[in-house]
Amino acid sequence: MQFKVSPLTKIISLSVFLALGFLLVILSCALFHNYYPLFDILVFILAPIPNSIFGSRSYASSDFMSPSSNNGKDLGHFLTGMFVASGIALPLVFYHCQLIGSVSCAMSMIGGLIIYSSIVIFSWFFHSSWENDEDNLFG
Amino acid sequence: MDTDHNDRLFRLPFKLPTFHGIRTFGVYLSGIFYALGFWVFLDAVLYSKYSNASDVHVTFIDWIPFLCSTFGMLIVNSIEKNRLLQGALNSEGGSSFGDVDSNMAWQARSVLFCGFALLAGGLSGSIVVLIIKFLVKDYTSYPTVGMGVNNVLGNIFILLSCVVLWIAQNMEDEYSYSLTL
Repeated sequence: MQFKVSPLTKIISLSVFLALGFLLVILSCALFHNYYPLFDILVFILAPIPNSIFGSRSYASSDFMSPSSNNGKDLGHFLTGMFVASGIALPLVFYHCQLIGSVSCAMSMIGGLIIYSSIVIFSWFFHSSWENDEDNLFG
Repeated sequence: MDTDHNDRLFRLPFKLPTFHGIRTFGVYLSGIFYALGFWVFLDAVLYSKYSNASDVHVTFIDWIPFLCSTFGMLIVNSIEKNRLLQGALNSEGGSSFGDVDSNMAWQARSVLFCGFALLAGGLSGSIVVLIIKFLVKDYTSYPTVGMGVNNVLGNIFILLSCVVLWIAQNMEDEYSYSLTL
């Protein structure tokens, strides 16, 4: 059974998911009057940027026989992995140093992960469809 | 019977997992380890500032091993063309490419030496800080000694990150020749 979801439905559900993530993180700050978890949003929003800047370069520049240089891609992967792990570790470190509470720590970590995964799922859904058919995007 | 061991790396039937995405996975893992090391160290710094019950604090001296390890990792991993380097590390030129002359080999060896020395110096410096600043002065109970232990753990994670990155970048070279004409 081919489950065909229209791209508009995908966009709407992803944006609802993203808003849920933001809601969780902002609630985790506002309920306790403690604005340290906002650093978590910053880290998780910075996280997909290196992957997209250094992402898979097209084959236009490299020759057929030259060794494939992966340095840009590797740097992008390294920085993205570093930011995602930082985003998970930051609430835990703040909780251990008694800067925020445990509920706030859990909420901001889950909210940050929701934000990051919705950005990743968005680029995953629409990356291949842009390359394949550009006419059917809102059909 | 003896020809059985020719094409295997280990004596026991044990194969390193090789699939196509393992290089990417290795680079991600290295980034995760580096972030873990950084945050474990930052845990010690923030703990010392905000919830410290004793009178020993994290000062700039504690940052020095971390900075050494980071610089060492940057230097070691900025050597490019690892494939050419393996010829340089083994013998004095004589590889089939002709690029590896002894000048570049000497430079590569000295840069690598500096990088590895900085890495090892960072780890041993953090152990020295732990011993001199905490253990000798009898701060041996948790969580106060946790500040020194976190410093050592952070440097160990950075060293692990550098090792995983080096292995991941070198591992692919045998399997990347998939030219289809």
